[in-house]
Amino acid sequence: MPDEQELIKARLGKLGLGPHREEEIFRELSEHLADHAAALEARGVAPDDAAQGALDTVSNWPAFRNEILSAETEEANMNYRTKALWLPALCALTLSNGLVALMQIFGHPPDSYWLGTAGWTMKVLSAYIVPWLILQSVVGAIAAYWSRRAGGSVRYQLLAALAPAIALLGLFVLVIPISIMLKEHGANHIRLSAFMIVTVVWVLLPAVPLLIGAAPFLRRPQAQP
Amino acid sequence: MMGIDTKIKRGSGELAILALLNQEPLHGYEISKRIAQATGGVLQFNLASLYPLLYRMEKRGWVKGKWEEAKSGRQRRYYHLTPKGKKQLAPLRQEWGMFFQALHRIAGVAHAG
Repeated sequence: MPDEQELIKARLGKLGLGPHREEEIFRELSEHLADHAAALEARGVAPDDAAQGALDTVSNWPAFRNEILSAETEEANMNYRTKALWLPALCALTLSNGLVALMQIFGHPPDSYWLGTAGWTMKVLSAYIVPWLILQSVVGAIAAYWSRRAGGSVRYQLLAALAPAIALLGLFVLVIPISIMLKEHGANHIRLSAFMIVTVVWVLLPAVPLLIGAAPFLRRPQAQP
Repeated sequence: MMGIDTKIKRGSGELAILALLNQEPLHGYEISKRIAQATGGVLQFNLASLYPLLYRMEKRGWVKGKWEEAKSGRQRRYYHLTPKGKKQLAPLRQEWGMFFQALHRIAGVAHAG
């Protein structure tokens, strides 16, 4: 039999309902087309004509697509991307930054006696950076799990888990060039070094535990049999 | 036979589907076939008119689709009537009965109910 599912996909395009639901719809519609074509064949229609005849029962595919979307979103105004990407990503971002704030409020800053020494750096690392980095794995896990439960693809699960790092990278990419253009304080090479350091500390380092935390939950959403 | 207006078709389709599923769970193609047979072809649903209706009814919680093995051995999505859908059946029957009575009074349209 011709691949009805591919024919339907080509005509309806992506529906934006999540991979699981989309696959289910394409599969169900293709089964219907196959039955219709088989019924036509049983009446003596040639297989190719029968397949075409079944497809031709839909005169307006874009309108059909809109009808499906309208039916699917009638009682679910929140679209798939919002549920599977933006909400878990926002949660991860809030949690990640909230943890920094909480640690600043309730943490014990190293004694100023140590300021400027290697010991001070170590104390800052042990008091703030390391615990924060460890907690990032929990943040990544929550975001990936949430996205997966909402039917998110593995790409959405990854993006949601990495949202805190991606958001900060975006911020730095935006702020540093502007700062260089303004040329108010310091030489460009210092600014670039600062950019490299903050990118490593706030983007690359947290990205690792975020990924580690997300890893056990990264899975394709389950398709029904 | 003249085609039936889409909105009337949609409304009557909901009643027809609920009534059919009240007897037994069916998959989409079987639903369209049974409706056409039972109405002598007056009411016909194709791919484009049936599935948006089924998906809307599913979103409302009136029916529930489940992948099950058909007699042919293929997996098909069978629609089951939910308790919520069952509750809709009586009021919908009443509404359509009243609709045909009203048409009968005003235009002499006979109804079967």
